[in-house]
Amino acid sequence: MENNNYMETWKKSCVRIGSPTNILAAVTAFIPVIYLCTVYDCWPSAQLILSAWALTAIAFGAFYIVEPVSYYASLGMSGTYLSFLSGNIGNMRVPCASLALDVTESEAGTIQAEVVSTMAICGSIITNLIATTAAAFVGTAIVSVLPAVVTDGLKLYASAAIFGATFGNFALKKPKIAIFGILIPVVCKLIGTLPAWLTILLTVFGTVLIGRLFYVVESKKAAKA
Amino acid sequence: MDYLQISNLPIMWVLCSFTVIIAALQALLFIRTANKATKECNINPEIPKQAFRIGLVSAIGPALGVFIVMVGLMSAIGGPMSWLRLSIIGAAPTELAAATNGATAAGVTLGGEGYTLEILAVSWFAMALNGAGWLLVTGVATPSLEKLREKLSGGDSHWLGVMSAACSIGIFGYLNINSIITKGFLNGGPAISNGNLIAVVAGAVCMMILGKFVTPKVPRLAEYSLGISMLFGIAAALLFA
Repeated sequence: MENNNYMETWKKSCVRIGSPTNILAAVTAFIPVIYLCTVYDCWPSAQLILSAWALTAIAFGAFYIVEPVSYYASLGMSGTYLSFLSGNIGNMRVPCASLALDVTESEAGTIQAEVVSTMAICGSIITNLIATTAAAFVGTAIVSVLPAVVTDGLKLYASAAIFGATFGNFALKKPKIAIFGILIPVVCKLIGTLPAWLTILLTVFGTVLIGRLFYVVESKKAAKA
Repeated sequence: MDYLQISNLPIMWVLCSFTVIIAALQALLFIRTANKATKECNINPEIPKQAFRIGLVSAIGPALGVFIVMVGLMSAIGGPMSWLRLSIIGAAPTELAAATNGATAAGVTLGGEGYTLEILAVSWFAMALNGAGWLLVTGVATPSLEKLREKLSGGDSHWLGVMSAACSIGIFGYLNINSIITKGFLNGGPAISNGNLIAVVAGAVCMMILGKFVTPKVPRLAEYSLGISMLFGIAAALLFA
């Protein structure tokens, strides 16, 4: 089948799988607390739940929208469903997907790119589920015998090292854009009082805008030459 | 029974497993769809296999980080709930913040005196409601995000490639700087985390050296470049921070 035609079929399948599973998981996550309240008859007042939720939403509420929007161009459709159900987006999903796209030399917007990033993200989800399930059963025993330097290293620096490595990979390919990808958040963070969601929006869309400027200028140059 | 005993009851594992199973099931369904697309579009079947392997292997490092953090979280909110929460959206600090907000709203501390079953329930509600935010937004609005991307790309596949790369550069630029700069001028800074600075720079430099000089000669190594760079970044941070 022609690849371009298949893209519509692919997108439809993504929505058919992703939408119900993400919504269903939002619902099933309440099963334990409903059981707790019913069996032990400890229903808290709605007011108490709402005020706990309000405190949490002040800190994270903007991310519910800002993160899916900002990450979309990197994750694509299947990647968005998978990543926002399984989490660990910055430290696992995007790094794995972008490395896989790179190694397999898949071009953005093709069905191969969709398949490759989906498979890489699914692979990383399987690893993550194995890790959390193992932690549940043997975690305490294993951590107690690991040397502190190993647990500290993984706990403190694994994310930062992955963030840096993934950035380095992109910087190699788009060095000019990468300079701005660092400069914008440095300015935002040095100010110190901007909320995190605004810093993400400014950085991602600022960097995309810079990318657009370079792209337009270079296309014009190429057209003249 | 105290709250942790109840949180760790065998039945809680069963009740928490529904959500973990949905996450696994979703991944399996997407693998099946990807395999079907591979066949119908005549993609070399080795390519998706390689991609899957890259995801599986590259995630080992960060997953070990999750493993260790989860052991800590289990002592605060119990095993089953930690398992559920860290298998889906919301990293450990996010979940701890939501659970703590449950206690704060009731005027007590997490696991402290007066942390009754009723307040445990408030903590659990806060975590579930918070996670539902991302799940419902993506569950409902993802097709609209796709339309937005189509609009922004304007059907220009070259620009789509640049846009995706620029988006990732922005995301990781933010994640890097966010972990390095801890305080700005207007909130008592500037202050930075030396350890994270070293981890970011060492990870980036290692990846760039691998990508520029090593993997062009040894393509097989490309699959492991992220894992190697991560270990290098962690080791450098431990040695020099």
